[in-house]
Amino acid sequence: MPDKKIIVRVKRRQRPDEPVRWEEFELRYRPHMNVITCLRDIAERPITRDGRESSPVSYEANCLEEVCGACAMLINGQPRQACSALVDNLEQPIRLEPLSKFPLVRDLVVDRSKMFEDLKRTHCWIPIDGTYDLGEGPRMSPATQETGYPLARCISCGNCLEICPKVNEHTQFVGAAIVSQVRLFNMHPTGKLHAGERLDALMGPGGIQDCDNSQNCVKVCPKGIPLTESIAAVNGQVIRHALKTWFTGRD
Amino acid sequence: MASAVGVTRTSFFLDKLQSLSGIVPIGAYLAEHFFENSYALVSPGKYNYIASKLETVPWRLPIEFLLIWLPILFHGCYGIYIWWNGKANVIGHPWMANWLYVLQRWTGIIVFAFIGYHVWTVRFLSHGKTTYTDIAHYMANPWIVAIYAIGILAASFHLGNGVWNFACKWGFAVTPESQRAAGWFGALVAVVFAVIGLAIIAGFRFHWTPFDTYL
Repeated sequence: MPDKKIIVRVKRRQRPDEPVRWEEFELRYRPHMNVITCLRDIAERPITRDGRESSPVSYEANCLEEVCGACAMLINGQPRQACSALVDNLEQPIRLEPLSKFPLVRDLVVDRSKMFEDLKRTHCWIPIDGTYDLGEGPRMSPATQETGYPLARCISCGNCLEICPKVNEHTQFVGAAIVSQVRLFNMHPTGKLHAGERLDALMGPGGIQDCDNSQNCVKVCPKGIPLTESIAAVNGQVIRHALKTWFTGRD
Repeated sequence: MASAVGVTRTSFFLDKLQSLSGIVPIGAYLAEHFFENSYALVSPGKYNYIASKLETVPWRLPIEFLLIWLPILFHGCYGIYIWWNGKANVIGHPWMANWLYVLQRWTGIIVFAFIGYHVWTVRFLSHGKTTYTDIAHYMANPWIVAIYAIGILAASFHLGNGVWNFACKWGFAVTPESQRAAGWFGALVAVVFAVIGLAIIAGFRFHWTPFDTYL
């Protein structure tokens, strides 16, 4: 036990325009380690396996319990959360790469603001402020609550975008997470009032039509959100909305 | 209601039309095409009778153009554009639906090329008139049999998987259970088309007429 070592290979770049360099680190194994502990160990003693002095690896992490989404990265090629990736379950050497579908900032840090911009573009919030007290909203049925809660667990980690064949430099596809949020806000009794705006946005460039049903998204969602169900449900909403507005001028 | 002024819906319209055109009219035409050709399994005389009937329908050229050639050209060309817009990643992520995504593209291009060959030889080189003997002559060549078998199997898969895709993309199959059911239905469609298509080739190749008892 005391001599057990683990090997971590990290894909590194100081700046996005720099050539990639792979660094290998050897760490002392301890029970219950996860990828974040590995990155902390590297930061403590940033010396590569071949004895070269390096620098701590840049990465994002917050909650360390798979509810914030910050530490999404490619671990042995799979997009997942570093905090819940336990070393005991990983093949060695552990290969760490930044998500590839987002602009790189440095090392394992990427800029996921595309997701926030797309949430804004698709009106994924419920306006409750007015110039006067709007009073209480309508009641939400328990059935709606039960459908909505799993969708509300989305942490915008970006795994579903990373794994999607249709999210790449050729498209502006918003990705499964955003479509699923549209479904969530459209089923809310107050959110329904703006359903048409959300669906209009999802019919624009990069909208729901870019989904080609590879169904990879649902395989990598750390929160187990039924993303393919959300996409199909919103597909139905969008088609009905399109037909109604085209034939009658309004939904 | 604020509407999406200035938001272009062109790609939404074309993508959904691409998905729909695969079912209607292309899938529907394929069903009709396989059905009519199955008359070869009744008798050469019956086949020739049906063929000449179809060859002399009124408005033949506009019907062929609007309901068959144009939809297939659009579906194929726009399909290639959709393919170009995606980056397959089935290596490393070999999940079932991810394989179907890749196979849908490869079978699509195979069928598109096959249809080009098929239409060129038995529609245009024959000046729109083919008889049982003509097709049987083609099918005497094992290479042509192989090309047809590949074309039919690829088309059957592409349509069956397309039925499943269509059910998801138009919101008819929403829950995982209904999507699985739609998937099985698509598989059934693929198997039925493949069996009928291969039976027709066998009919022409071996002068096999299992339905001649109907006569």
